[in-house]
Amino acid sequence: MDDISSILYESAQRLLGDLSERVLAGQALTDKDRADGWRRIEEMGLPVALVSEEAGGFGFSDADAFGLVRICGRHIVAWPLVETMLANRFAVENGSEPLEGPVETLGELTPEQREAAALTRAVQMAGALDAILAMTISHVQERQQFGRALAKFQAVQHSLAILASEVAAGQAAADHAVARRAQGGDGATLAIGIARARIGEACSKAAAIAHQLHGAIGYAQEHRLHLYTTSLWKWRDEFGTQAWWTQQVGREVLASGRDAFWPMVTAA
Amino acid sequence: MTLLTFPPPVENEATEALRTEVRAFLAEAIATRTPLERAESWNGFDREFSRAMGARGWLGMTWPKEYGGHERSAFERYVVVEETLAAGAPVAAHWIADRQSGPSLLRYGTEAQKRTILPRIAAGDCVFCIGMSEPDSGSDLAATRTRAERQVDGSWTVNGTKLWTTYGHEADYMILFCRTSGTPADRHKGTSQLLVDMKATPGVTVRPIYDVMGQHHFNEVHFEDAVLPPDAILGTEGQGWAQVMGELAYERSGPERFLSSIQLLLELIGTLQGSESVAAQTAVGRLFSHLVTLRHMSRGVAALLEAGEDPTVHAAIVKDLGATFEQDLPDIARSLVDEEPDLQSTSDFAAVLAYTTMAAPAFSLRGGTREILRGIIARQLGLR
Repeated sequence: MDDISSILYESAQRLLGDLSERVLAGQALTDKDRADGWRRIEEMGLPVALVSEEAGGFGFSDADAFGLVRICGRHIVAWPLVETMLANRFAVENGSEPLEGPVETLGELTPEQREAAALTRAVQMAGALDAILAMTISHVQERQQFGRALAKFQAVQHSLAILASEVAAGQAAADHAVARRAQGGDGATLAIGIARARIGEACSKAAAIAHQLHGAIGYAQEHRLHLYTTSLWKWRDEFGTQAWWTQQVGREVLASGRDAFWPMVTAA
Repeated sequence: MTLLTFPPPVENEATEALRTEVRAFLAEAIATRTPLERAESWNGFDREFSRAMGARGWLGMTWPKEYGGHERSAFERYVVVEETLAAGAPVAAHWIADRQSGPSLLRYGTEAQKRTILPRIAAGDCVFCIGMSEPDSGSDLAATRTRAERQVDGSWTVNGTKLWTTYGHEADYMILFCRTSGTPADRHKGTSQLLVDMKATPGVTVRPIYDVMGQHHFNEVHFEDAVLPPDAILGTEGQGWAQVMGELAYERSGPERFLSSIQLLLELIGTLQGSESVAAQTAVGRLFSHLVTLRHMSRGVAALLEAGEDPTVHAAIVKDLGATFEQDLPDIARSLVDEEPDLQSTSDFAAVLAYTTMAAPAFSLRGGTREILRGIIARQLGLR
């Protein structure tokens, strides 16, 4: 990551953080808020973050562009920003101009496009897991029960240790798939399948623990937690369900058989 | 905002060439080892095999050449370690020495200790055991009661008992963690590490402890007025706690923390090979995804070690997730294959399933219990 991308990361973090603050569940944005928010996103150039420099993008490496997607995952906003990023990428790859956003749905995708979208979702999930972990840590440090912070209870500490471990594993799998895709070659599809299988499971466990530790407070619509957990429950099964991706990985492993197993692990 | 990032592993042609070399060696060296024997994983003990590893330069790999080492990278060592584990090679005769005792000696040992012992470890000719747990001090290591008293002539007299001492009955040396001043109430203060010659120290008795399978790996090591020479002290007197924590970081950081059940996974793949069952494919896809991810994380720990950073928390995460993965395997295997577990079976799957089922409880006990590891992770998160 160079200076330009790190400056852009910071600005995106600030803008999306600010826009994300305004999304409170059950509270619809006015049309004006909606239009203003999207205009600010467009001014920063985020909708074309995944397209080439010639087509108006930042000219980021794939790895840096995915860094931006991860930031998008950390901030749930009212606009389909990541969907628009993907739609623009596919449009440009097909020789068209970037689209007038925001783009709500992607429509029919080719297998290659679906794979790119699946990986993008995995990275977005990694970002949302960052947010869920941070949110849960602050909650247990602030919330007092029985005269002390929840964080002081060993049962709570151990639940959070599991949450942090799942988050770390899911993110490691997503990071690796990004690196594999950047390398090119045959391994990318398998790495994306592994990432979707692993991070999907991490999302289930993380969401369950985060809700448990937030108590009833986190189950109320006015709390932000559900913006993340409901997103994860959706994303983990989009562009190929977790079950489908996991089965693809297993099919390949079982087709290769016992003697090929360990070499397959070290090559993955 | 990202709390726990695992650095990406470094790959290069040298490590992959080494991998090919190690695989070729293992294919021959352990060709006659049965799947059930391979399932013993790092409990399999064979001095000849360890000497053969030493002869190839695959022990003490990262240490300076002047102490018998080979000055290779942590990644090259990682390749050798994971390949021997995946193959089910009998590594126990060099395992503890190469993994933690040697690195501790290199860091804290006197010139004489390093020159006498490290070349022997690198040659695969020196077995070490760990002297940490005691009857009243398991996870609570600071409660150690074994005591070394300094005599007027500078020598040490040791009294106390160490427990769960793996291969204590074969070991040439132990690194003993004990109290050299104060009382157990002083906790971390007043503890030290001493080097014990297990073959030539009067007053040291080793008694076997049999595990649930009836196997003899563990021992009870009793010290009764055992006399150690003045130069037995390892590192600095009174700094035992800091030193033993460093040793544990090595003990917890390797791929053995998620590869203990690999033989069962191989037998499972062999049994289900080519299956079109959705349940089988999904279960295997999940296991493969976990394993590959654990390996990436574990290689990230090796990268931290190579960079001289403290891998304690990252290692705790890999070990906790790894032990859960290893322990889940027997139940997943038996949910997919209709075969009774049986150690005596002629079916490799049935025999390895029986073995791994009985070995599994230890996976989240040895080298730091699950509860201790989660405490370490929680501390890193700022909760304690």
